[in-house]
Parts: sequence; C-alpha cells; structure tokens
Amino acid sequence: MIPGRQTRCWLAMSACLLAAATRAAPPSGEQLYDIACLSCHSLGDAADHRVGPPLGGLLNRKAAMVKDYRYSEALSASGWSWTLPTLLAWLSDPDTAIPNNAMNYVNPLTAGETQRLGEWLLQQP
Amino acid sequence: MAYTPSRRGLLQAAIATSFAGVGNGCDIAAPGRKVVVVGAGLSGLNAALILERWGFEVEVIEAKERVGGRVWTLDHMPGSPEGGGNVMGANYGRVIHTAHELSVPLRNPPQALPSDYAVGGERILRQHWATSDANPLPEAWRSTPPGRLIAKLNADNPLLSTRAWHEAKLMAADQPADEGLKALGFPDAAIRLINANNSYGNNLSETSLMALYRIMGEFGRLSGPALAVKEAVAGNMRLPEAMASRLRRRVALGEPVMSINTLSSGVQATLASGQTVEADAAILALPIPALRQIILDLPPSQLAVLDDVDYHKIVQLHCVVDEPFWEAAGWGGSWWTDGLLGRIFTRPIPGSNRYNMTIWINGDDCDPLNALDDAACTDAILQALWQLVPGAKDVTSVGQLVRWSNDPFAGGSWALWRPGQAGQAHGAIRAAAGRLFFAGEHTAEAYRGMEAAMESGERAALEVMRSLS
Repeated sequence: MIPGRQTRCWLAMSACLLAAATRAAPPSGEQLYDIACLSCHSLGDAADHRVGPPLGGLLNRKAAMVKDYRYSEALSASGWSWTLPTLLAWLSDPDTAIPNNAMNYVNPLTAGETQRLGEWLLQQP
Repeated sequence: MAYTPSRRGLLQAAIATSFAGVGNGCDIAAPGRKVVVVGAGLSGLNAALILERWGFEVEVIEAKERVGGRVWTLDHMPGSPEGGGNVMGANYGRVIHTAHELSVPLRNPPQALPSDYAVGGERILRQHWATSDANPLPEAWRSTPPGRLIAKLNADNPLLSTRAWHEAKLMAADQPADEGLKALGFPDAAIRLINANNSYGNNLSETSLMALYRIMGEFGRLSGPALAVKEAVAGNMRLPEAMASRLRRRVALGEPVMSINTLSSGVQATLASGQTVEADAAILALPIPALRQIILDLPPSQLAVLDDVDYHKIVQLHCVVDEPFWEAAGWGGSWWTDGLLGRIFTRPIPGSNRYNMTIWINGDDCDPLNALDDAACTDAILQALWQLVPGAKDVTSVGQLVRWSNDPFAGGSWALWRPGQAGQAHGAIRAAAGRLFFAGEHTAEAYRGMEAAMESGERAALEVMRSLS
C-alpha cells in the first residue's frame, strides 16, 4: 500500500523528531560499543570471525577464559575478573592495566563515555 | 589563490540546494545532522557508515573516478594484483569484520616465491647468503637475510605500549635512524642494506628511529586466533566498493574539493565543478598531500605541521610471467636487491600456470624514475630486470606501472615520520579545528595501513558525534 500524504508527513515528522532527540543525547552505551568494540568483539559467548573474544556475560567472568581463544600470556596470568573497576581500568588504558597484552588498541573515549560503555557492557547477557 | 566558483556553478548549486530543501524536510527539523566526508577511501567510508548508522545524513565526495583511495586492485591484469593496500594483517579486526559483514570473502594469499639476493651487483642464491663473498655483513650478522635486519630492533624495543612513541621520556629515540642504528651497534653494512629497501622512510637519515621502533613493535604484537595475513579473494578494492554501496547516498565521484569555508552554522565545501555543499561538519579523509591542495580555515601552526609531513615514495611495475624462467638456475622466483629494482615479489596466479611479478622500488631511489614519463620509467625498470635475469625477457609482459607519488590525489603511499616528529606532529595533524575533522591512515594511533584507515574513521565519527550532540 502506498502511504497517503498525511501518513508520509507523519512519518517524516517522526523521523525528524527522532533525529532531533538523538542529536541532543550523548552517545549511548550501545553506540559506544558500536564504535569502540563491535568490530573485534561480539556480544555472544562463542568465538566468531572477530579477532577478539566475545563480551557477552562479562560480569564476574574470569579474564582469558573463552574456550578456543588465544590470549596473551599477560592476560592469562593476570588473575583478573571483570567487574566495573577492572573493566574501566582495562578500557581506559589496556597497556597500563596489563602490560604486554595482545589488544592493540587506543581508547578514543572520554572518561565519561568509558564509564557509560563499561556499565552497558556488564549488563549484556 | 582563492578559488572562485563559476556563475554557472553557483546557479547549479542554488538549484541543487533548493531541491534538497524540498526533498528532505529533516534539513529543517533536525539541524546539526549533516556531515560531508571528503575522500572515499577506507577511512572516509568507515566514518560515513558509522555516522549513517547513528542517524546522520552523510555526503561523501571523492576526487577520483573510483572509491578506495590507496586500495587499488589492478582488475585489468591476470591475477588482479594489488597496486595499493595489499596486506590485511591477522589483527586487522575492523577490516576483517567489515569484510565479513559485507560478504567480501577473504583468503590466505598465495605465498610469494622464495627470495634470492642481488647485492653489490652479485646474484646470490638464498641458501648461499650466509657464506657468500658478496654478503657484506660482519660474521655475527651474516646469517640474517637483508630483509630481516631491521627486525633486530625488537631485541631491545623501548616501546612497551601502543602510545609510547609519543612519550617525552623516550624522545631520545626520535633521532635520525641511521645514527640511531649505528649507536645501537648495527654495522655500517647492515645500515646500508636496511636503507636500500626501507619501507618506512625515503632514506634512513630522514627517518625517525622512533618510527622504526613503532613499526617493529606493531609487527611483533599480533592478536586473535589466526596469525596468517589475508586478502580479498576478488581483490581488496571489493571492500571499499562494498562499503560505498551500503551508503544510503551514492558517493559523488570525480569531484575534487577546492576549498572548505567555515560558516557560522557549519561548513561549505566548494567543488572544482563549481557546486557547493553545505553541512554541519566536514571530515577530511584524504592523504596530506591531497589535503594541502584544499583551501582550509586552519590555524597557521597546524598548516605548518601539515606542510612538513613527508610521504613514502613507491614505484611498482606489475608484470605477468608466462613461464617460471627462474627454475632452471635454481632461483626461487623473487629477489631482494640493493640496486634499482628494489624488491621483486613473484607469486603464482591461482588456477593458472602464470605468475604475478611486482617490482617494488622504495624511497629516494624512486626520484629519477618519477622524473621520467610512464614509457621511459617502465623501460628503465625493464632494462634493469633483463640485466639481472635475462631469462625473464621473453616470458614477461608489463601490466601496470604504479607511481603513488605522482598521483595528485595521493602524493605518496603513506605518511612518514622524520626525526623530531614523533612527539608532537602526529597529534597536531589530526586535531579537530572547529567543524573540521581529520581521518586517514596518517591520523591513526594504534595501526598502520588499511586497519589504520578504519581506526581513524571510527575516531573521526566519534568526534563529529560529540561535536554535533
């Protein structure tokens, strides 16, 4: 069915309002995951084509424990578990948190964005 | 000289603007949502795709008649060799994931044939390198192949983190690489051989030792389950093509940008065709030599840094070989030379009996070649090839001469860091200026090559999103 003129106007207005609403908000946790993590980490629990391990069910998970994933010796030996403080330390500066890790990454996020991303990530099943 | 658009161009632009207003009511209801991206290489396309996902209207403008920038598959040649970006590292997460999402199949590339050597005019079989009289290295170094000499830097690499190449306490390494290597105990003969085919500077005296530490550190740090490099089965250019086809708005091709003016509410790009494009922000995703041709509102200090960055010189002659002329004499098929030919990479064309041979010349050795026209340059390289391996003459045909330095929209193959530039220059060239944002491999922090381009697109998209939120 071809929408009528009134419907098209309503759709256009809705799209614009949505855009305006999005514009006012800072990047959400999901958007930050999109830009900072998604290319290398899925949210599932099994390794896929991506070069990093999946991040689903991260809260209280021991570091370097995803089956069949090849971790750095440094992360494997770290004894870390993923909680908000450890995750924020890792995200903020992985090289300082655990030197000689395998994640070649420079975090472009602000401290506030990193916090928002970390909180969102730990809620993902 | 300031660029003045033609009257006809202004009229066209006025008409286009008025129709855009009619066709898209969101221009009125949602200000601050349009971004113009200059450059349709991997960095610009990645930024554009991310911004579109987030609800921005994006217009990508490209000077060339194709997308991909310095990713350029030579589709007209058997084997479709890569004239530009050719290696997807095992840890190129963004490249690999984007290819997966866009159904661009990847593969482990066919292995290049084993490399022999030609040093000081002498040809040396690879198995004789360590003992050959033509090997100029002192005893303790003789068994190291010339192409692996620079990797010895990793024995004592001071860069222990991705960002360390900017750290003030390490700036002693931001010195001329030839002097630095000598101070580290590299013998003169090793330095000369490294200089012969240095991919990270046009000559070692104008290469920062820090830049070499950075490269070697990156090579030494791989992550992920697979360590093998990859390439796109049908050519690496299929990746930027697939990215461009995913954009809602078609990339405008063949449209060099002449200037970008800052307006009170955003930016206005003026194209060579005379048209103008207004947006709330612009991402400049193009190599610095191309950027220099655009009139921009930038602080003088930033313009000075942009003027001061060198680009790597590469000349490639891509050939097809019908028969393995090297086999009878026991040669491997590839060569590493310290002469005009630089390195010769030969690999089988899958599904055929033929071979792709790329003669790859680096750095200042390109200068005399770049001064010649295409025919004379090709002839000079071929004459050197016939001299090295006369048997190649009757079975080798030329497919494409590639000279990135002579391409006005590239100006070289990638950004270089001269002594003294590691600390400040990298940060200065990518610093956002008002509504102008910068992407491109030269602006990336963690990676080089194709992954650097993707990384930079992410960062630029994030900066735009913050700025317009």
